[in-house]
Amino acid sequence: MDYVSPFDERSRITEPLAPRPPDLTGARVALLDITKRRGDEFLDRVEELLVSRGAVTFRVVKEIFSKPASPEIVRQIANRGDLAVEGLAD
Amino acid sequence: MSAVAHAPEFSLPSVGGDAVRLADLHADGPALLLFVSEECPTCVLTLRRLAPVVSGASAGGMRVAAVFEDPLEVAARVARRTGFDGIVLSEPAPYDVSRAYSLASLPTAVLIDRDGREVDRVVGWDAAGMRTLLSMPVTDEPPLRKPGCAAKNTYDPEELRLLDGGGFDEAEEMFERGWTDGLPVVAPTPERVDAMLAGRDRSALLGEMAPAMARVTLERVAACAVLAGCRPEYFPVVVAAVEAVLEPAFNVGGQAVTTQPCGQVLVINGPVRDAIGLNGSVGALGPGWRANMTIGRAVRLVISLTGGGFPGRLDRSTLGNPGKVAMCFAEDEDVSPWDPLHCERGFAADASVVTAIGADAPLSISDHRSTGPEELAHVLGWAAATTWSPNWWPLGGVSLFVICPEHARSFAEWGWSKERVREEMFSAVVRTAGSLRWGETTPFVGGAADDQPVRKWDSPDDIMIVVAGGEAGRYSAVFGPCLGMNTEPISKEVQWTT
Repeated sequence: MDYVSPFDERSRITEPLAPRPPDLTGARVALLDITKRRGDEFLDRVEELLVSRGAVTFRVVKEIFSKPASPEIVRQIANRGDLAVEGLAD
Repeated sequence: MSAVAHAPEFSLPSVGGDAVRLADLHADGPALLLFVSEECPTCVLTLRRLAPVVSGASAGGMRVAAVFEDPLEVAARVARRTGFDGIVLSEPAPYDVSRAYSLASLPTAVLIDRDGREVDRVVGWDAAGMRTLLSMPVTDEPPLRKPGCAAKNTYDPEELRLLDGGGFDEAEEMFERGWTDGLPVVAPTPERVDAMLAGRDRSALLGEMAPAMARVTLERVAACAVLAGCRPEYFPVVVAAVEAVLEPAFNVGGQAVTTQPCGQVLVINGPVRDAIGLNGSVGALGPGWRANMTIGRAVRLVISLTGGGFPGRLDRSTLGNPGKVAMCFAEDEDVSPWDPLHCERGFAADASVVTAIGADAPLSISDHRSTGPEELAHVLGWAAATTWSPNWWPLGGVSLFVICPEHARSFAEWGWSKERVREEMFSAVVRTAGSLRWGETTPFVGGAADDQPVRKWDSPDDIMIVVAGGEAGRYSAVFGPCLGMNTEPISKEVQWTT
């Protein structure tokens, strides 16, 4: 039986996880602050741990936590970083 | 096993979006075509068993494509469930590709070399045969062989007609697909969706909806309207409502995934209300009216199905609220003594307008005793003082009040305009910062002196007032707010004709 789907099937494809890095030495890690309350404190601690393992970090800040990151933010992360960490919720 | 022959060329729609040709598949190396169907248990077994080896085959230069004798969305669902992450193609009836490959039964695996020649095929599940085709290990878990089912291209149309519907439950099928909000739906058959579209361009794009970043086409909105139980004459209202929630300033994506309970409240104004039977009178916020229930539900289905904000998945609402099933009502402009909402928002009185507001559940406010307008305005305003959280002042968002006809009439008899009511509520609901420093409070209160007055709203403009409800009973209501989303109420005119 044929039905008209309410879904955009392209949007339902599960993207595979990117390969995990073998170690963090020299890795450029983007820390995405979504501006949720106290998210920066969480990222401060994550940053300490990453730097102690040899990573180089940089911060990127979203305009507001409740909206998708702008294409510009995504581009910054993709161009400048090898890895990204996002602090979600409070 | 067949002799070497050039395989028939094809071009079929893929779950990945673009059409895929056979030539694309064998351009850089061999290709394995797995002809399958959702209804065949051996096909499902084959997909499950091959799922773990697809990535290995791809790494070895072989492209593996499942060709379903099913619609694309069914193919996508079966691939997801079986963990098959190769290329997924859909072959429509009358299955000419299957016929060109002389398929008698499914599954049939056909190996194509890089020159486009068929070099081997395996029919049914055959672990040893599959190992040979793939040149790699395949599970030796029993059964090692299992026959499949007849390929659909071999079905006799007369037999199909006799079989059609036998044991098939359309309502259960919709639950099985997940095309529901938990209640039974109307199956979106092509005929019903066509009737909903009424000749409109089905591919017209209304926008992209987060979190799925799905393209919201008129056809998908129509499918949701059918699922919700809408009549075709409701569709222009559904479309206007979807256009409203898609406005970036509404931030539907944030509302769709938040842990907050908020849903989307739709207030309808103008002549379309009477034309399609939208209720703004007795029981306006509750069940009982098809247009109210199904229009609200259709918009929620667009958000939760098409948009990807399905409860418990990407919708992380801690408690949800019943208004997330459907919350749509008309303003009762005939009994209201004031300008209706759409006129306040700049539309002509004879325009039909949908206003979408991100909001929590309604809180009822009983007042049968007030003897003057200040008293009644204070009761209404103070009822909203605890919304969001008792000490969260100022709210930083919109409160939608639904004033019942008896309360509205009293205000009118006392000579109060809507603006006067709004201003009295705004100025009456005030406390000192010191009294608000308990539990969760705002940064504003946190930084204010103890005796500094703080109001519940930033401005009287954050108090929205509409009139609805039955003629008897002094029960108004206020909806809880949706905060932290930078959401604004959005109004859209309904494009419709009688």
